Amino acid sequence: MPRRGLRCQRLKFLDESDLKALYFAVIETLSEMGVKMDYRPALELFADHHGAVVDWDNHVVKISEGLLRKALQTAPSFFTLYGKTEDYDVKVDLERVYTMSGSCALHVLDLDGNHRLAVREDLRLMTRLLDHMPNLDIMHQIVIPSDVDEIGYELVNFATCYTNTWRNFYSQAQTAESVRDQVRMAAVFQGSTEEVKRKPTFTEVVCMISPLKHEPQNSEVIMESARWNIPLYIEVDSLCGATTPAPIAGTLVEQAANVLAGVVLAQLVNPGTPCIFAIASGIIDMRTGAYSGGAPETTLIHAATAQLAHYFGLPFQGGTGIDAKLPDAQAGYERALQVLTNMLSGTNFIHLAYGMMEQMLLASYEQCLIDEEIIGACFRIARGFEVNDFTLSVDLLRKEGGPLGKHFLTKRETREFYRQDRWIPTLTNRDPWDKWEAAGAKSMRQYANELARKILAQAEQEPLPVTPEQAAEIEAICQEGVRKAKEIIRQREESRK
Amino acid sequence: MGNRKCEELYKAIVEGYSEDAEALARQLLDEGMPPMQIIDECMVPAIQEVGRLYETGEYFLPELMMGAEAMQAALKVVQPALRGEGAQRQVLGTVVIGTVAGDLHDIGKSIVATMLSANGFDVYDLGVDVSASQFLDKVREVNATILGMSALLPTTMPYMQRVIESAKEAGLRDQLIILVGGAPVTPAFAEKIGADGYADDAAGAVQVAKQLVAQKAGQQPTR
Repeated sequence: MPRRGLRCQRLKFLDESDLKALYFAVIETLSEMGVKMDYRPALELFADHHGAVVDWDNHVVKISEGLLRKALQTAPSFFTLYGKTEDYDVKVDLERVYTMSGSCALHVLDLDGNHRLAVREDLRLMTRLLDHMPNLDIMHQIVIPSDVDEIGYELVNFATCYTNTWRNFYSQAQTAESVRDQVRMAAVFQGSTEEVKRKPTFTEVVCMISPLKHEPQNSEVIMESARWNIPLYIEVDSLCGATTPAPIAGTLVEQAANVLAGVVLAQLVNPGTPCIFAIASGIIDMRTGAYSGGAPETTLIHAATAQLAHYFGLPFQGGTGIDAKLPDAQAGYERALQVLTNMLSGTNFIHLAYGMMEQMLLASYEQCLIDEEIIGACFRIARGFEVNDFTLSVDLLRKEGGPLGKHFLTKRETREFYRQDRWIPTLTNRDPWDKWEAAGAKSMRQYANELARKILAQAEQEPLPVTPEQAAEIEAICQEGVRKAKEIIRQREESRK
Repeated sequence: MGNRKCEELYKAIVEGYSEDAEALARQLLDEGMPPMQIIDECMVPAIQEVGRLYETGEYFLPELMMGAEAMQAALKVVQPALRGEGAQRQVLGTVVIGTVAGDLHDIGKSIVATMLSANGFDVYDLGVDVSASQFLDKVREVNATILGMSALLPTTMPYMQRVIESAKEAGLRDQLIILVGGAPVTPAFAEKIGADGYADDAAGAVQVAKQLVAQKAGQQPTR
């Protein structure tokens, strides 16, 4: 198995007094301004608890410091996200770093170089491909297929991804019923809904709106997931300079207040529900108004939020898509800076780390492989090196004759050490010009293309984590769920009229 | 211009000071300057300068939008006076705009609304989570010529089609130029649901709107 959960917090952008200042600003925001929640059952639950003040006219809930602290006490800082076998279990704490795929691109850049709408077959193939990436820990759907109806699409995503990955699946839901359908689908593999509740093999994400808004389906999904003990990524996607104030510090305050209101809700429903402080925030490009995931300021926001999330005792998901359109120099630099900075800052889940480009609208098969290479190199840097009597190697130097010695390449110590110490590149070419030219003068993108084809061909021969019977049963639940979802939407629209 | 206050109003709009723009427009009216002259001589050149500074890369979005907001603030003061005289400012079209039902994403739509307004359209921004009936009621009320819809979520995008269908049922489709936008919206989607236009960003939206208005005017039978 590849490494799992490296501890590598080395970078700090906030000192203790910054963190305290942020803490008090978040408390002031939550207790005096509050968060808008357009979901009556959530507001009713808050109204029943000491420390919450509900403004029924504006659907705003204000949360006291005491109520927040109580919720943070029950929200765990250690838990396990279960894979389909123990090898794929992910042990979450405030220090270990994992990677995630995702999310929701509408277009793909396929292996023939075509830019086109994503289809369900892309979702299946890319999930198979990503499941072979040694450094990937959590699977999230990378595309939204265009040949799938928008209503209930998350159930089709679930059925497609869940059956094609060994890893814990990062899901999403539009309704409570959708959460229950996903529990049913997982139960086909896990044996029973009770078993899903005990060791959930999937998680849910809810995405809040800045400034300080929770849509009805956010609260509905938080509450239903908490009832089932399904871990939650409580995510805010702020646009620094547009939906949150332009200073990074101000964005950190809004993000934390927004996310923590969701954490409190989950803990009120079911104390102990695992909650991950999550962001996919970016700065707004002031020239065009575009979201920029690849901007250096975006990476600073993510690195600093890791520290703030940990200050509140919660694991943190950061990282986001990059802006490049092709697997090119821009893609390489954006991804590397983003991944390395997040790793060194102790971001526990580096999200959207594979293949996501063009402000999260485009997924590239080739970039998935290139990102695996970048992530591997970044993990190597983040792992650092040890200093002890053995590694100082003075004895070896003396034994080999000090200034009279020759080299160490053929020493047993070297052979034993480098195997576990060195990162061995897969796609990176370190040859001199002539040799590289003789081998076809290939770019990294070409190497990635060849490897992707090879992995996909191999993957098609391998058994899936679920049996064909289980896959068929999951698909049937999915289709029935989609039918119900359409009915719910129809009823909602009726009531709107 | 030749009038110091007019120059100040021009400057307030170019530099994006809404409160100053509003106050200066009021002072100019009090001094007896005809409202149409205030618009033509002090305000329109200012917003054109804002547009030029954006095009040349000197201004970014915040300056552009602040300029547009200052323009709107001044217009709010001048327009009633204009109506009092029985005159009417020439507008390129009346726009009803909003983010569709189920979607609370505001910012992109607001940028487009501001830009359209700054470029000579009369804009009614209905905000977010707007239902088909809310869109169409407003279209009737203000006799809109353009309907703009925004969505950020792939799950709320289909609602745009529903609004278009409702416009057809209500007999309003033919009077409207329907524009759609938002991060997940593509030209192919716009075409599929029967919208008239699509743009990638706010500047593009203004261009498309102007183009379609001109086209539609060309199509009108001459009487």
